[in-house]
Amino acid sequence: MNHRGGWALIQATWASWLQHRGFFFILAFGWMIPPLIYLLVWSTAASGKTIGGLNQGEFVAYYLVLILVNQLTFSQTSWTVGDLIRYGQMNRLLVRPLSPVYDALSSEVAGKVVYMLFDVPIVAALALILHPELHLTPRNVLAFVPALGLAWMLRFFWGYWIALLAFWAARADALLAVQDALIFLLAGQVAPIQLLPDGLRNAALALPFRYMVGFPVEVVTGQLDTFGLWTGFAFQVGWLVIALALSASVWRVGLKRYSAVGG
Amino acid sequence: MTQPHIIVRKLAKTYRVPTREPGLAASLKNLVRRTYDDVQAVRDVSFTVEAGEMVGLIGPNGAGKTTMLKLLCGLLHPTSGEARVAGFIPWERRHAYLRRISMVLGNKSQMLWDIPPMDSFRVLSEIYGVPPAEFGRTRDELIELLDMGELLTKPVRNLSLGERMKCELVAGLLHRPAVWFLDEPPLGLDVSMQLRLRRFLAEYNRRNGVTVILTSHYMADVMALCPRVILIHHGQMLYDGELGGLAQRLAPFKLLRMTLQGENGNSIGVLPSNVEIIEHGPNRLTLRAARSDAPAVTAHLLQTLPVADLAVEDPPIEAVIDQIYREGGV
Repeated sequence: MNHRGGWALIQATWASWLQHRGFFFILAFGWMIPPLIYLLVWSTAASGKTIGGLNQGEFVAYYLVLILVNQLTFSQTSWTVGDLIRYGQMNRLLVRPLSPVYDALSSEVAGKVVYMLFDVPIVAALALILHPELHLTPRNVLAFVPALGLAWMLRFFWGYWIALLAFWAARADALLAVQDALIFLLAGQVAPIQLLPDGLRNAALALPFRYMVGFPVEVVTGQLDTFGLWTGFAFQVGWLVIALALSASVWRVGLKRYSAVGG
Repeated sequence: MTQPHIIVRKLAKTYRVPTREPGLAASLKNLVRRTYDDVQAVRDVSFTVEAGEMVGLIGPNGAGKTTMLKLLCGLLHPTSGEARVAGFIPWERRHAYLRRISMVLGNKSQMLWDIPPMDSFRVLSEIYGVPPAEFGRTRDELIELLDMGELLTKPVRNLSLGERMKCELVAGLLHRPAVWFLDEPPLGLDVSMQLRLRRFLAEYNRRNGVTVILTSHYMADVMALCPRVILIHHGQMLYDGELGGLAQRLAPFKLLRMTLQGENGNSIGVLPSNVEIIEHGPNRLTLRAARSDAPAVTAHLLQTLPVADLAVEDPPIEAVIDQIYREGGV
């Protein structure tokens, strides 16, 4: 592992992305729209009453946090790694003494910083207008930090192994579109998980997608008891281990194939 | 005796390429059952290169040059055969090996597009683990050799093609590679840039003793830089040696260019029978004669024609290469 090179790459990618702030702000704005719509739908529906135990202000808090978490965990490189392979750009990375995963990680880290420059002020402004009710406790804040970090890693490596299928099928990114749809449905975007019908909720609790977005939001908005918290972490870590193993083995086998058939 | 820097022994690479007939029916059939063709991109190629040599890898499109280069820099696994470069097996892709080589791909950039070259150089030096003091020295030396001080603070996307090529060359050399692979570098820019980049390559090779393998379609670049060429065609090595030797072997004739005094309408009548007329003007004449006949023919012409000027030349290398590419043999 060449961390020194990786860190330099992150800094340079960041500098390069800041040249295009406008473009990334527009992307960030686009990604913000769906949760914003659901924020308005649910907070209007919960006007003067509670739905599934959440009142209007709590829905606002849930979705404002979700906007930030969704953005922080969103893995845009899943979409670009496949292109690298398809268009033969991977060769350039493979002749360097640095694992190409650093290239993806550097865009990730650089991206987060740029998006947050846009998201944080917007969410703060929305918070002033929409009056969220967020009851922060030290336990929930403390648990939120690892939950968010694990959520990002899980979403990144889950997207990465799917993207690497481009070694075999040129348009493996169709699977990424499926993954995004599942995240939309099962990760707490369309509705908080607890409001889903039983079958869907059980699926959401078992599959990896909730642990990419919804779980950290539920943690910080205080929706989970101690049991829910620990089982959540257990699922999150379990799925992360699976995602890491899949990424590593798909990379190894894929690279073997790549060097057999030619880039 | 030290070992050669690059050793290639019976190296071969066969690709499996999916094929199908044209038309809708064939494409449906293809969905169910794919058919493949074996394409032998490189067949049993063997050669060695000593440290510090500059070798041109030439051949027509699809000859196997790029496959050869990809095998040597570890991007491809061979079907059979062996290779050692700087003591390493390339396709094991050890970081220690990747730090010893550099690959400049003509159509792919090492530079980050939106930031000044200086920042990309720093990132590359970190990736290759170059100590800061050495990085500064190498960078300054390269910048001076290429005379590019004024480019360093502009974003790469604002640079011209020639300026970007300079940056690619610096980027490829910051870690002081022992072996430098150049795949179709666009050196053939405007005349002065072309000369300057060639001079740089030759000078860098001389100063640092780096082994250079260059593929190029620009014979002028190959002629100017590489004392030795390896000619590949249909994956096979047809020739390995001096470029001049290739012309001798393939084109066993000389061109005789003459300027004659005054109008000489009947000069053709006095020509010996063993020459061929290539070009014929009012006071100019170009003939082709067998290499072995050239001295006698020249003497004869000087006696019988009012020659103002005479030059005996080898045929242009482009014409020789074209002949090989079309006929496929030496």
